[in-house]
Amino acid sequence: MRAFGYDIDQLVIAHVLLAIIPVILGMIIALPLGWWAHRSRGARRVLVPLSGALYTIPSLALIVFIPVVLGTPILSPVNVGLTLTIYTVALLVRSVAEALDAVPASVSLAALAVGYRPAGLLLGVQLPLAVPVLTAGLRVASVSSFSLVTVGALVGIESLGTLMTDGFQQDYTAMVVTGIVGSIALAFIFDALWLGLGRALTPWSRARAGV
Amino acid sequence: MIEFRDVGKRFADGTVGLEELSLTAREGEITVLVGPSGCGKTTSLRTVNRMVEPTSGSVHLDGRDVADVDPPELRRGIGYVIQQAGLFPHRRVIDNVATVPVLQGLSRQEAKKRAAEVLERVGLSALAQRWPAQLSGGQQQRVGVARALAGDAPVLLMDEPFSAVDPVVRVELQDELLRLQAELGKTILFVTHDIDEAIRLGDRVAVLRVGGRLAQFAPPDELLAAPVDEFVSGFVGRDRGYRRLGFVSATALRLVDLPTRADANGDSPDSPDRAVPGEWTVLLDGTERPSAWLGPDGARHDLGSLYVTDGADAASDAAGTLRGALDAALSSPAGRGVAVDGGGRYRGGVEPDDVLALLDRGTTR
Ligand SMILES: Nc1ncnc2c1ncn2[C@@H]1O[C@H](COP(=O)(O)OP(=O)(O)O)[C@@H](O)[C@H]1O
Ligand SMILES: [Mg+2]
Repeated sequence: MRAFGYDIDQLVIAHVLLAIIPVILGMIIALPLGWWAHRSRGARRVLVPLSGALYTIPSLALIVFIPVVLGTPILSPVNVGLTLTIYTVALLVRSVAEALDAVPASVSLAALAVGYRPAGLLLGVQLPLAVPVLTAGLRVASVSSFSLVTVGALVGIESLGTLMTDGFQQDYTAMVVTGIVGSIALAFIFDALWLGLGRALTPWSRARAGV
Repeated sequence: MIEFRDVGKRFADGTVGLEELSLTAREGEITVLVGPSGCGKTTSLRTVNRMVEPTSGSVHLDGRDVADVDPPELRRGIGYVIQQAGLFPHRRVIDNVATVPVLQGLSRQEAKKRAAEVLERVGLSALAQRWPAQLSGGQQQRVGVARALAGDAPVLLMDEPFSAVDPVVRVELQDELLRLQAELGKTILFVTHDIDEAIRLGDRVAVLRVGGRLAQFAPPDELLAAPVDEFVSGFVGRDRGYRRLGFVSATALRLVDLPTRADANGDSPDSPDRAVPGEWTVLLDGTERPSAWLGPDGARHDLGSLYVTDGADAASDAAGTLRGALDAALSSPAGRGVAVDGGGRYRGGVEPDDVLALLDRGTTR
């Protein structure tokens, strides 16, 4: 589909990839960090404020700063991807720690008592039980990522944000609105996806007495 | 056989959980550890499966020092049941029970088969596909017991497994444990703070005082007949009085007439209006069930706990327990308790003085 002189499909695909890959990478990085913060009070005292502080760095600053540090080309999508990954990690470290905290101690204790080793306890009991809180964190990170991806357009990284920046320059309202509505719609679609995934993984959480 | 040899535990913060506990739980018997809260019961139990490492002394399982066994390996060979059942909320009943066989290396299918057998044995087959959240407290505890049995471990550790369920269900669970034990002959170390439970279940009962110090270790009858000191006789005596009321039938209890009136919120215009001005009046709904007290102030008040006569219908006059009568008499805002039949229909009132008179007659000793 073409509109406003752009291949919209391509913008949508770029937008989705640029928003989602960092969310997934961020989750993969946040899991061990969050687990560490859950296990050790010392680690938590450092990791949680640090990740909170990371989130306060303006996105544009990160996007232009990363090429300076890493030597990536200034127009590389990697700069945006990395920025969003950092934000996702910043949001999720605390989420993961709290999700693991929320697993009832009696259940973890029972798991150890029947003979789980630490890895089995984490994978077989704690993580599955953490899914509801993890999903909530993931949804926030995902919505945030879909919105922040548009900032990349300011430095020429293509996404639906490009319609906003270019539309603004050309004083073309319909183009700006298309960009905004499109990116919001994508954020909603993926939000629904995470919600559905979370529910599919936790049939037990909806079980109530007498059902 | 479980042997504690001078087991001591000082926690990192300096708290002494146990000092020098020596005790042997015999093969095929239920050994109960009983004592006040904080006396080290849980700590001693956990030294057996190495959830707690003793700071002195040693624990031996069938002659083998447990410190020499890899903890997860050790635990797979010991059934463990705790107060809140500790079921895995994300696994169906059958998968909860299959957990131990899976950890022991059985294939998922074999483990499920084994779990189904155990559920059958404890009469829970109908619940196999339920989630733990769909079970009552008593059912959860029974699944907890089934899970502990599924590993076929010769040794069971039970930490106040029945303390969180109501007294009626607790007695059922105790009976069931005794029935299972008669079939299975496990070596069971059972922890409780309830001396009645200890006496019902234990082949031998260890009374502990704070610090995990053994006050007396004896079969129940000996404990009751010849407590070694003040502490034991106090502990055995104090708790027994009130708890035992739960098993004593209030046969001679007379019910009195109370003023009653149809509940305006209910739908029974034909209920006889016997309200007495200025007195506490029981409000009855359309099915003759008490719904509230109407106070002399004209306001509604909670009924308090009800004395349930055992009869299934109004015609039957079998008595409820003395403890139920006492609870009703003492918890009512009106100073008199409300009695209902097994169907919840109003039977009469309970005067505290009558209950106390029954107690005085020595019914409870
Ligand atoms: N992990 C711990 N750290 C410090 N003190 C503990 C710990 N666990 C138990 N205690 C203390 O050890 C004593 C015995 O506890 P516990 O064995 O749980 O008693 P019980 O099960 O008889 O109620 C208590 O004073 C308790 O506060
Ligand atoms: Mg305890």
